[in-house]
Amino acid sequence: MEKKLFRQYLVLVIPGFIIFTIGLIIPLFLSLRYSVTSWDGMSAEKAFVGLKNYIELFHDKEFIDAWWFTIKFTIGNTIIQNVLALLFAVALDSGIRAQKIYRTALFVPCLISAIIVGFIWLKMFSNVLPEINEWLGTNFNFLLFGDSKTVLGGLLIANNWQWVGYWMLIYLAGLQSVPGDLHEAAKVDGANAVQRFFHVTIPMLAPAITICVVGITTGSLKVYDLLVSSTKGGPGRASTSIIYQTYTTAINGRRYGYGSAMTVTLVVVLLMVAMIQVKGLRKKEVQV
Amino acid sequence: MNKKMWYTLAACAASASMIGMTAAAEEEPVTLTVLAGQSTTDAGIEDMIDEALAEKYPNITLEWECVDWGNDFQPKMQQYMQSGLPDIMIGKAQDVATYAPQGILAEIGAEYLDAGLDAARENVTIDGKTYGLVYNALYQGVYYNRDMFEENGWEIPKTQEDLQAIIDACKEKEITPFASHMVDTWSIGNVTMQFMMNDVFNKDSEWGDKFRAGEVSFSDSAEAQTAYEYNKLIFDNTYEDTFSLEQTDCDAKMVLGEAAMKVSGSWSIQNFLDIDENFNFGIFPFPNQTGDSKLIFEPNITIMTSASTEHQDAVNKVLEVLTTDKDLAVEIYDYTKTASMLKDVTPTFANPSQEDIDKYASENMIVDVTLGNNQLVWGGFQEENAKDIAAWLQGDASFEDALAASDARVDASSAN
Repeated sequence: MEKKLFRQYLVLVIPGFIIFTIGLIIPLFLSLRYSVTSWDGMSAEKAFVGLKNYIELFHDKEFIDAWWFTIKFTIGNTIIQNVLALLFAVALDSGIRAQKIYRTALFVPCLISAIIVGFIWLKMFSNVLPEINEWLGTNFNFLLFGDSKTVLGGLLIANNWQWVGYWMLIYLAGLQSVPGDLHEAAKVDGANAVQRFFHVTIPMLAPAITICVVGITTGSLKVYDLLVSSTKGGPGRASTSIIYQTYTTAINGRRYGYGSAMTVTLVVVLLMVAMIQVKGLRKKEVQV
Repeated sequence: MNKKMWYTLAACAASASMIGMTAAAEEEPVTLTVLAGQSTTDAGIEDMIDEALAEKYPNITLEWECVDWGNDFQPKMQQYMQSGLPDIMIGKAQDVATYAPQGILAEIGAEYLDAGLDAARENVTIDGKTYGLVYNALYQGVYYNRDMFEENGWEIPKTQEDLQAIIDACKEKEITPFASHMVDTWSIGNVTMQFMMNDVFNKDSEWGDKFRAGEVSFSDSAEAQTAYEYNKLIFDNTYEDTFSLEQTDCDAKMVLGEAAMKVSGSWSIQNFLDIDENFNFGIFPFPNQTGDSKLIFEPNITIMTSASTEHQDAVNKVLEVLTTDKDLAVEIYDYTKTASMLKDVTPTFANPSQEDIDKYASENMIVDVTLGNNQLVWGGFQEENAKDIAAWLQGDASFEDALAASDARVDASSAN
């Protein structure tokens, strides 16, 4: 019987394992291998250079700047998106009218490709909003993508517009699964609405918070497509993310080996961030 | 009927059936894959080529993959070099220097090359073998509003002082001197190469080789620095929102008379004439330090073929259509608003800047930018330098930082 079960498990696991291995594990090891070569991505020669690429990374200003932008983008997104998503979820859970319309309106942007979102906000900032400025006779600076000092803000607006609705649904599902009697008990104990929110709702939402924080963080660390259609990493290099830098270095710059070393650092950071967040947030989760 | 006659008839029938078989074999449907790295002007020419090909060789189908040349052609080529090249690749003349030494391109037959102008061959020939068929050409320089120049009595500037006088006059009249769209970093890279051509490569055609040999550098070369500094001249005398302004909007402003000049290439003509078919413009080379600037000429659409194609006959038929179908050629040139690189083919669209081009050509004041693009390649070098120049213009990096970054990128400055 056990043997039969084992065979069934194998049948279920093997297809996924094969796809995962071919699509992820093998490329990862290939990346590791290329990262210690000076391969240009075109020629047959892949000369071994040891750790030279990794040492060079620490002195590469463009690489460091790209990481710095990515970190700022990630922190901004993680805070803004979580707070907004939670607030919208609480608002929709409070029984307001036309809840379904609001939910749909907030969710729809995440169905659009990030490339399209980039185009939409490029047009918004360059044409639509300045035009509205003129109609209203106001003088707001909407050219956020055109200045290195404001481009991060513009990209945060675009990214949050796209994803807040998605994370809001996860929070909404979490809110709807909080047992009503816990709130009742807290009420009986004299807790006001704010106290109930922080001492009952938030602890009960911990699993949803874990999912959202890890999802938003890792998603933001990998930002690329939004940039391609909106800022192309500019002005200058002001919005060049680590993946954008890796791509232009490896492919356009014909430094595949060096670009692979960049990729390896990203994989390591992604793993570390996800592990730390999951471990840290799991501790705060409560079981009912 | 005697025996001999029967044999003769049988032989004729057999031959006829053999001919029929050969014809049938020739008409076997063939699908050729085409990777087309397109400039902004080129999107749409694939339909014209399909139509002309279907008329003459209905059995040949082209499976197009059209990508942006600046951003995606090189990545696609790298991908295909691992997995197998398309039968036909359409890029720019400078791509030949990148890919021919890898041994992946086939030599183009003399019968097709002979249909093209001799000037088209020089920069696509390596060790006596020609690997690219140059189909059309762009001109680059300063496009100017001819009516505006005439109304104000402005002469075509030949020196930096002349140019500064026009800039000052524009400002007095509250006209923006230069139209520009620096949101497109490629436009910064493009104009920088124009500046480099006239201040650096026209004086020293091996500057790139010397750069790689460590004999010259951006940080030490006054000429290269001057070329970079012209970007600041443009930036200080253009629209405030240049880093947010897209090309079409920029060109529209120029046509509407908001700006007097635009450092650009023939790709702007399509926009100019689409916005106002009566827009009267001319072109002159951006003045250099020595007052002997030349108009820039760039061989554009360049057809390359795979050395490992299994359908060489069909590929040759495509080349034949492209080089012999003059109606197709004129249709493409008129649509892209570009110059012909085929013998005896002249576009029919009214190009107000043509008289200027003819004048510079007659004075031998035209230079092929492929020289500069081969010395310092676009992908990984020029386009990256343009980002540093943009960062400098935005105040995020110093001029010295931008120069040092270009120097540090020396290994990426050559295709091979």
